[in-house]
Amino acid sequence: MSYLNNPAIVMDNGTGLTKLGFAGNDSPSWVFPTAIATAQRSTTKQGGSGSGAGQSQGSGNPYFGNSTSATSFNSLASAALLSNNLAGKRGTEDLDFYIGNEALAASQGPSYSLSYPIRHGQVENWDHMERFWENSIFKYLRTEPEDHFFLLTEPPLNPPENREQVAEIFFESFNCAGLYIAVQAVLALAASWTSSKVVDRSLTGTVIDSGDGVTHVIPVAEGYVIGSAIKNIPIAGRDITLFIQSLLRERGEEDTTLRTAERIKQEYCYVCSDIVKEFNKFDRDPQKFAQFIVENSEKTKRKVIDVGYERFLAPEIFFNPEIASSDFLTPLPTVVDQTIQACPIDVRKGLYNNIVLSGGSTMFKDFGRRLQRDLKGIVNNRIALSEHLSGTKSTGVDVQVISHRRQRNAVWFGGSLLAQTAEFKSYCHTKQDYEEIGPEIVRNFSLFNMV
Amino acid sequence: MLHLRPENLLVQKTLTEAWNASKAGSPLTLDRVISDFDYTTLHVSNSPDDKSILWLSIRTKAWQSVVKCGGDFAGYLKSKYNGFHAVSECSPEQGYDFTVQVKLDELDADAIVQLSLMKIHIMSYPFQLAFDEFARLSQLPEGSNASDTVHQIQYRDDENIFIKPSSDRITVIFETFFQDETDKVFGKVFLQEFVDARKRNRNIQSAPQVLFSHEPPLEAASLMAARSADKNRRFITFVLFPRHFQTPELQFSSVCHLSLFRNYFHYHIKCSKAYMHSRMRYRVDTFIKVLNRAKVDDEEEAGEQTTRRTITGRKLVY
Ligand SMILES: Nc1ncnc2c1ncn2[C@@H]1O[C@H](COP(=O)(O)OP(=O)(O)OP(=O)(O)O)[C@@H](O)[C@H]1O
Ligand SMILES: [Mg+2]
Repeated sequence: MSYLNNPAIVMDNGTGLTKLGFAGNDSPSWVFPTAIATAQRSTTKQGGSGSGAGQSQGSGNPYFGNSTSATSFNSLASAALLSNNLAGKRGTEDLDFYIGNEALAASQGPSYSLSYPIRHGQVENWDHMERFWENSIFKYLRTEPEDHFFLLTEPPLNPPENREQVAEIFFESFNCAGLYIAVQAVLALAASWTSSKVVDRSLTGTVIDSGDGVTHVIPVAEGYVIGSAIKNIPIAGRDITLFIQSLLRERGEEDTTLRTAERIKQEYCYVCSDIVKEFNKFDRDPQKFAQFIVENSEKTKRKVIDVGYERFLAPEIFFNPEIASSDFLTPLPTVVDQTIQACPIDVRKGLYNNIVLSGGSTMFKDFGRRLQRDLKGIVNNRIALSEHLSGTKSTGVDVQVISHRRQRNAVWFGGSLLAQTAEFKSYCHTKQDYEEIGPEIVRNFSLFNMV
Repeated sequence: MLHLRPENLLVQKTLTEAWNASKAGSPLTLDRVISDFDYTTLHVSNSPDDKSILWLSIRTKAWQSVVKCGGDFAGYLKSKYNGFHAVSECSPEQGYDFTVQVKLDELDADAIVQLSLMKIHIMSYPFQLAFDEFARLSQLPEGSNASDTVHQIQYRDDENIFIKPSSDRITVIFETFFQDETDKVFGKVFLQEFVDARKRNRNIQSAPQVLFSHEPPLEAASLMAARSADKNRRFITFVLFPRHFQTPELQFSSVCHLSLFRNYFHYHIKCSKAYMHSRMRYRVDTFIKVLNRAKVDDEEEAGEQTTRRTITGRKLVY
């Protein structure tokens, strides 16, 4: 039972970045892309997609080629034959892979192909994910999973089947001592307790989680996510990067790689209060234009990239989506307002009062301030209208958007806060529970009531 | 292949970050726990009054049994860091076994590597004793050079490493034990493979001989007597000959491989399980595909029964 002294492991696998670390630390130990580079020539079929390497391998041999496209029961037998045949020839290809930054580096070469096992926050490819976890636990965190409790995160509205898959992997492959799967939004709320603006440690609030793939607006009441009211916005970090890239291309800058666009986004972009005024400011004051310098790895060549209006235009996509997208047109503040209006009336005040930002794409300067201003505008208009119609005086609604220092990795940090408490282990499901009851045990986790 | 490196990557990364930040003039505020295999926890923190000084502490399960091996363990550990000005020992932090103080201004890359090997250094002490003992025994004349020294490292709750030096070899016995039934089966295949691979493949003849048994080997039997025979226990014996530890470099690499053996072993069991799972997922996918096809056929048949067509394709209406 000496695993009780080992720190719990907190893992937040996001669409873009994976945050790994130990409970009790103030920042994740490892942050790297959720990417895996697998050996290309492998004969094993990887992933759930239908067109596996089995087919490409069989291209020389019509027998093998046919068998994967089974049309009748007959060819099922041949499919079995195929896999048996391959089993004999198979070497250690399944061990030949890299994750994280190493994967990005390896995929530069010809023999590895890169893939991202998580899409829109949800695991798409369990084979890759299982190997991703395996490598992150043993190589990066250097832990024996039998000795540690794990806290994993899941996106809102994750189907329970996915949870069960996670549990199967963690308990059956890794024999982990105990597991807790937390909803990202709830952890982000817990992380906001570090802000001085938060007075009571309640688990009621609206979380705006904007990462790489998708932006969610999630109302949480007393630790329970109000699933029916969750809204998502198909605009997030990657779209902003692509938008910057397209602007750079239009202008014909020297370097228009995605990497450069991303660096420009993170270093130069900010949210302005009014775009027309901001355009004027830029025209009057050329100081506002910045220059970004790209050096190649040997530091021999330098390229100078001008950074112009995209400094404020890029994050503006959240508030005026029409500048980048043609099918999604609702600004973020309106979505937040709609979300809260879709919730039961008795929690709405609490939800307006505690709007918490989380995720890398909320890191733009003044993002919170602009959101608060716009949302206040919407709410005040509605109050004014209803006062006008009913003739009574409203007590008013206090809109407060909270930004804090831990915002970028808020989900991970919230997990670290919760997992370091003494009670954490009693909320986890243990390996014994799992063996007793089976994977459906993870459909329910009791909530922390931390005060 | 998925190789586990002897050094702790995270310690290396954390120290390098702290070092770079301090060189850049903005020292980091650190208070981090880092973990390593076999109930090992490290702690990196700032010294309370000087930000350019870091404390690195370690707590590991093996510590107590290593201390019990006797000899000058403290001196041995100190000698590992003697060459570095940046690193000096200080009294252990509360709750940890060993603490060093690291001056960031004088740190260098070599020292960082050595610090990230701290756990290996602790584990290597009994091995070092065995190497020394071997050297002594091999000098003695035939007949009087038997020794019954056995060093024991208790590196997990009830798993031990036994190291027995004798005049012509060093025997290292791992006692390991599986919590999980599936692991046991996989483990058996692997262990058998360790034994057989050497017989089959001529290229690895120089590797240490590996034996595998359910019964405690004679070398460790005396120490094991107290314990009841447990069915889940496995014993893996490595026989090291002088060619495996002639030079300090060889000694170091042998120790690294041996002290990571269990982790490596369990890691590979997990990898195989992951591999099996991906095979299963693949198989289920193909089954589902077949089922889906069957379903489509069904619908068509059902459709044919209710609507009949004329030879020109027009529907027959009754
Ligand atoms: N300072 C910054 N300013 C703007 N964007 C940033 C900043 N830092 C990181 N980002 C962006 O944040 C994104 C990553 O955020 P995060 O790690 O929260 O996403 P994720 O958790 O991987 O994804 P998701 O939560 O959608 O599954 C990237 O697109 C990155 O470019
Ligand atoms: Mg995220």
